[in-house]
Amino acid sequence: MKARARLRLAVIYIGAAIVMLGTVGPFLWLVSSSFQYERQLLNIPPQWLPNPVVLDSYREIFEGAVLGEESGVPYQSRIFLRSFANSFFVAGSVAAIAVMTGAYAAYPLARLDFRGRSTLLFGILASRLIPGLSLAIPIVLVARQIGMSDKIVTLVFINLSFILPYVIWLLQSYFKSIPVELEDAGRIDGCSRLQVVHKIILPLSLPGMTSAAILAFMLSWGEFLFALLLAETPASYTSTVIVSLFATDVDVNFVSIITAGVLSVIPPICFALIFQRYIISGLLSGSLKG
Amino acid sequence: MSPGLLAIFFSAPAVLIIAATILVPFGMAVFLSLHNWNLKRPGRERFIGLENYADWLTDSDFWEPLRITFTFAIGAVILILIVSLLIALLLNEKFPGRGVVRALLLVPWAIPSVVNALLWKWLLDPNYGLINALFLEFRLIETYQAWLGSMPGVMIWLTIAYSWIHIPLATLLLLSGLQTIPDDIYESAIVDGASVWQRFAFITLPLLRPMLSIVIIFEMIFALKVFDIIFVLTAGGPADATNVLGWTIYTETFRKLDFGAGSSIAMLLGAITLALAILFYVFLDRGVEQ
Amino acid sequence: MLRSFKFFAFLSVCILLLTTVSLAQDDGLKLTGWPYQVDVVTENLGRFTEQSGHDAVFLPFPSNEYRDKMVASFVAGTEFDVAYVRDSYLAEWAAAGWILPITNLEGADELLADLPQGIIDQMSYEGEVYGLPYYSGTQVLAYNQSHLDGAGIEAPPETWDEMAAQAQMIKDAGVVEHPILMELRSGENYLLRSLEIITAAHGGRFFDESYNPEFHLPDSPFRQGLEWIKANLESGLIDPASLTNAEVDTLMMAGTNSFMATTDYTLKAMNDPEQSNEAGNIKNGLIPGANDQRSGTIGYVRLYSITNGAQDMDAAWQLVQFLGGKDATGEYYVGKRWALEFGLGFSQGGLYEDEEVRNSISGWIDPDLLSEQGNYAISRAYRFVPFFSDWEIGSWGPLQAIILGEADADDVLDELAEEWIELKEDWGY
Repeated sequence: MKARARLRLAVIYIGAAIVMLGTVGPFLWLVSSSFQYERQLLNIPPQWLPNPVVLDSYREIFEGAVLGEESGVPYQSRIFLRSFANSFFVAGSVAAIAVMTGAYAAYPLARLDFRGRSTLLFGILASRLIPGLSLAIPIVLVARQIGMSDKIVTLVFINLSFILPYVIWLLQSYFKSIPVELEDAGRIDGCSRLQVVHKIILPLSLPGMTSAAILAFMLSWGEFLFALLLAETPASYTSTVIVSLFATDVDVNFVSIITAGVLSVIPPICFALIFQRYIISGLLSGSLKG
Repeated sequence: MSPGLLAIFFSAPAVLIIAATILVPFGMAVFLSLHNWNLKRPGRERFIGLENYADWLTDSDFWEPLRITFTFAIGAVILILIVSLLIALLLNEKFPGRGVVRALLLVPWAIPSVVNALLWKWLLDPNYGLINALFLEFRLIETYQAWLGSMPGVMIWLTIAYSWIHIPLATLLLLSGLQTIPDDIYESAIVDGASVWQRFAFITLPLLRPMLSIVIIFEMIFALKVFDIIFVLTAGGPADATNVLGWTIYTETFRKLDFGAGSSIAMLLGAITLALAILFYVFLDRGVEQ
Repeated sequence: MLRSFKFFAFLSVCILLLTTVSLAQDDGLKLTGWPYQVDVVTENLGRFTEQSGHDAVFLPFPSNEYRDKMVASFVAGTEFDVAYVRDSYLAEWAAAGWILPITNLEGADELLADLPQGIIDQMSYEGEVYGLPYYSGTQVLAYNQSHLDGAGIEAPPETWDEMAAQAQMIKDAGVVEHPILMELRSGENYLLRSLEIITAAHGGRFFDESYNPEFHLPDSPFRQGLEWIKANLESGLIDPASLTNAEVDTLMMAGTNSFMATTDYTLKAMNDPEQSNEAGNIKNGLIPGANDQRSGTIGYVRLYSITNGAQDMDAAWQLVQFLGGKDATGEYYVGKRWALEFGLGFSQGGLYEDEEVRNSISGWIDPDLLSEQGNYAISRAYRFVPFFSDWEIGSWGPLQAIILGEADADDVLDELAEEWIELKEDWGY
């Protein structure tokens, strides 16, 4: 048995290594490139490890963020880190609001039998079936008419409306997998529907809700089109817009783009690391036994 | 409270957010799709009913991109599904370091789209690309290849690049779905002497079906709307081989400034996607309930 | 978990409330464009404010998506007073009424008198001029001197056939595998631009002065150029990367290729040791010719235009004059600064004829050959009709199919000509 356990672990680690190679491998190349000179990126064959290690692009971004205009670094590098505040605000608010409101909306869709259930379910999804590109200009137009363009709040609402359908669908499917008996037991104990949701459904759905939160955070962190179209001043640029600012028509600063990209990955990964401990196995089996 | 009222009460916040943001722009897009509306010809806008739709449906400029879109979407969804299911099964096992692997899995998803574009351009470059260097090193090719220069290579690499970004989402969802399967079911199956394969086929797969259907529906919606990766890697080429509907919608709307044509083709894509989503839902999700 | 979310939600609402208290609107001029040297632009605007008393601020957007961003901005009613414009979409923006003509504004005559007619043509739509130049130039031949030396070639090619022959020699000498680069990718400023250059160099053009197609005629210069590309792509002398790469010029910097027709200013990066592995080796020459034609090329202009959102026309025109014309001291301050410090083409008083400018760029490009190349630039009136891009977008796929040998040139070209004629009639041209 012990040998079998060891074999199992060996298989798992080999599998995990392959997965890591596939997912993180290309990213590591980005990291390696961010420590190189611009011209070294064009070496043939490619240079896998930076030699020498060049820290200029990182130094520019951090110095620029701290010192502002006095640092003398290019505009794009200067404003990049500051835009993280905007991005984080958008992604954080969207994740929180989407999961809260989405969970309530998902519950009746999963559990209650009422007329128009399917219509509601597909009605919610329908808004996502039209490519954002063809809604983009109407949205910009409306935002401007009601004085909501160039505001981060608008971006929160737009991202919410795009992500909520996915969150609702995800959660309703998740709720369905929670045994009805658990809920019935709660009802017999005299809980109202709201209490059932709060005391039974939500705690048991932590893995699903965490996935939904990560999904919402990632999608709005990386959103580019509307962040670009609704921005009018640097105060409302998100980090994705600024990464694109390194291409200037006359020249492209590849190393800076790559460095900015590497740094952009850090906040969402931290977010995932913090929240993913709630994706715990065996919640349901525990409660079934209990 | 009746189930219907309860449903309205519960879903009101989410539905209101979606409706407030999307309804007016969506209405405008429908309105535009029924008009002859070219921004380059101000003063000539007029209502033409379904003429835009009829024009598209009788035009190979709609059917050919539709065929390409489907080719791409089917390939991408299958690839994403298989790979993410394998990874999810792996990460559902308990082993030290699992949390880190799970978090790092999200890296491809967190890289800003501009940087992703750059990454794939660099990987696939015919002259200084990493894939060429790597493949040559392992003697998989004899000379450097222009991967995006011809069919079917361009479609294969587009599918891989696209899937790389989308696998984390699918894996996350499948993983949270696997968490809903109580451990005791597996334990009793082991006691009954079920093999690994039997456990997968008769426990995991059926119980994962709701989440699988969600993943298929989500990924299908994403893939049918594919645009970003086309925009940066191929711009529809070579010789229109990757001219998907998302690209046509973009060129009609933003390049030809023909909002009537652009909106109507977007509506058509939306309708096709909706029909498919309903079909999948009925087959996959409903089947579970009964 | 729930508590974390509640905390997040609370925090969000707080910040939401804070951000809705919007900052006071400033009344200054707003200039938008792509983000090249933002700090220099801002500095220039500081000088403008000093001289004119009008506040002005530069709000840039990503270069690759600039056109799309501005389309959305214009449709929603733009808040920008002055915007950068590329000649490739000038006609569309002018037709849509998004940018305003400056021909009859006070002082325009004097500034336009200083510009070559070719530049003015590329800033015009239906007889009106829509702005003043930011930078301009032509497509030139870039070649790698050390590759030529390696194959024992003395001088760069004078005809396209000679270029193919030299490429073969370079290949045979084992210097590089695919010596010739062309921008053949689908997308704005790739395939069609390359075809325009090779057509011009064969002594032809796409359409005549009254917008009738010429490209499809039997044995037209366009067809000859297309044939040349097809043949050399097939033989491998043209790098297959030409069909796929967006930034083809980086390959010249990588040193994998020897010849390329490229925008003049890219030679600066190609010869910059920080960016290029071939710094110092890349020279400019005349684009080769054919049919007794020594050379042929096309020009480009980036300009400043007043938008239809300009609140104060007078101030906006002052800003355009300052940026694209003269400042209060009567000097071409901004244009000259771009030329001297950054090597951007300066067209006032003739392209590259200013002694100071010539000296400053001679480190990375030969100014004599550059200005000689400028003389071969053809006029392209057809680019400045609003339906050109409608036709162009539809042409990428079929033209690539010809080049790749997937489609018959006769059928495709006739079809493309028909499409053009249809558009032309529909638009009443």
